[in-house]
Amino acid sequence: MIWLTWRQFRGQAVVALAALAVLTAYLVFLGVRLRDAYEQHVECAGCTLSAARQALENGYATQVTLAGLLILVAPAVIGAFWGAPLIARELETGTYRLVWNQSVTRVRWLAVKLGVVVAAAVAVTGALSLLLTWAASPYDTLFGHRFEPLLFPARNVAPLGYALFAVVAGVAIGLLARRTVVAMAITLAVFTALQILMPAVVRPHLQPPVTEVVLFRSEAAEGIGITEEGHVSVQGYSVPGAWMLTFTGDLRDAAGELVSRDDVDRCFTGIYEQDVACLDAMNLHYTAEYQPADRYWTFQWLESGIYVLLAGLVAGFTFWRIRRSLN
Amino acid sequence: MTPVLRTAGLTKRYRRRPALTDVNLTIPSGRIAGLVGPNGAGKSTLLNLAAGLLTPTAGTIEVLGRRPGGDAGHLAAVGFVAQDTPVYSGLSVADHLRLGARLNPSWDERLAQRRLAQVGLNPAQKAGQLSGGQRAQLALALAAAKRPRLLIFDEPVAALDPLARRGFLQSLMEFVAELEISVILSSHLLGDLERVCDHLVVLAASRVQVAGDVEDLLAAHYRLVGARGDFATLPDGVQVVQAEHTARQRTLIVRDTTGTLVPAHPDAERIGLEDMVLAYLTRAGNPSAGSHTELLLEAQP
Repeated sequence: MIWLTWRQFRGQAVVALAALAVLTAYLVFLGVRLRDAYEQHVECAGCTLSAARQALENGYATQVTLAGLLILVAPAVIGAFWGAPLIARELETGTYRLVWNQSVTRVRWLAVKLGVVVAAAVAVTGALSLLLTWAASPYDTLFGHRFEPLLFPARNVAPLGYALFAVVAGVAIGLLARRTVVAMAITLAVFTALQILMPAVVRPHLQPPVTEVVLFRSEAAEGIGITEEGHVSVQGYSVPGAWMLTFTGDLRDAAGELVSRDDVDRCFTGIYEQDVACLDAMNLHYTAEYQPADRYWTFQWLESGIYVLLAGLVAGFTFWRIRRSLN
Repeated sequence: MTPVLRTAGLTKRYRRRPALTDVNLTIPSGRIAGLVGPNGAGKSTLLNLAAGLLTPTAGTIEVLGRRPGGDAGHLAAVGFVAQDTPVYSGLSVADHLRLGARLNPSWDERLAQRRLAQVGLNPAQKAGQLSGGQRAQLALALAAAKRPRLLIFDEPVAALDPLARRGFLQSLMEFVAELEISVILSSHLLGDLERVCDHLVVLAASRVQVAGDVEDLLAAHYRLVGARGDFATLPDGVQVVQAEHTARQRTLIVRDTTGTLVPAHPDAERIGLEDMVLAYLTRAGNPSAGSHTELLLEAQP
């Protein structure tokens, strides 16, 4: 059975290995370049953090983002090209009537095939994810945006869960759809929908967010603005390394009263340094809602765990269904 | 001996459409059983149920005394060659033999090799490039070399030209003689089956019309020809399969398993398998009965 699995899978495996080799070379190259840049701009005498950020962003933002997107897309592609055809192609070409009448039960046939393809998918995705995590670590350290929707799912262990789920889902969809191309399309659609739903709806609530009253400091915010009701609000504030769930909040003074435009107008003289010093001295505060930085690994494991659990459920259904014969 | 196939009240519906209705059938061991009927009669459904690829809507089916395809041991005992003899077009002939060897503990490599040599299949050729006849031979070699006790073929020759058809049936007969196995094969052409089968099942309109050993069937079916108004009463146990009338003449096809017909009507004449099958297909009330006649005649040598 393992021989047959390998015989049918080896073409795809060769393609995957070739792609993996090219990407490994690229990611190692990117990692080395980033380390050089980090050394040059960060670990130097008289360099400022913001200048270093600017330099690395100008030089590498596109490459790091694209590499991350690649890792986001990899499980979907693997699920569509390896998972979906696994049963669908046999059903479509009629060869299931050949292979399921050898002296091997369908359950064992599926167990071996699914096992091999899942292992390959997790290995390829895992290798890419860990390589990118290593390569981009100077960049990620500098910006501290690990929770960002495009960063979080493309680093560390989360992609392994995606790969596992994508393959299992592809196989199950193939069994139901019975057409290779249709199954591939549905697999891509389902996986994409989940990848949008997860960060938008589920991930922020994996643990109750921290709600905290924080002191306004100008360096932690992008600016202040006036709301429609005439209140002054903070814009784009961030807690270092944390995942901010709200980006604006009404400012209140020491007495807890909402601040109006007139209260802050006196600070605006036109000289930037004076203005921010004046604002900071007003002792303003606001309510922030966020997931703190030290929850990163909890969230990584929770996210992987959810996908592993989903994959387990879908796999259970697939085995039940294939055993029950086709009708 | 356990019958190779036994069904009780076997029914299979696809959505609402019945494919098999209340089939009660027993095929004894050691036969080459032919399953004949027009396209859409339910032959493939019955054979796929027997191979465990489908589950019944109602009723039971037992193959070699057990539920089909339940475990590896049972799978090893039944060889199934599906309609259109599916093979992996990307794998070579040799790869298919390797597949058979890896997936069947009872694999007979010598038998497989000998068969391929006899029919002149090149092991290095991709299965996708084989002709229909070669593909059928490959599928037959695969199914036979796992050394099953029962071989099931679903329309094995439907897609073959007359020469390949003859070659395939010849190979099949050689196997059966050599391996001493039971065989069930289906065809919509009686001509394919009557040369090789010693047991016949006529399936039409999702029901079994008649089944039995060919010898017994031939001994039990007669044609009665008389004037209009004759044969108003027939002996007990004689069953009219088909009646035809013209202005002056009456023709009956009857089944008599009691032996009371001939003493009462000495001019009753035996009929061949083809007339018998036609009578049952006509009785099944299939609206396209005319085309059956054509199909069945087409197979005559």
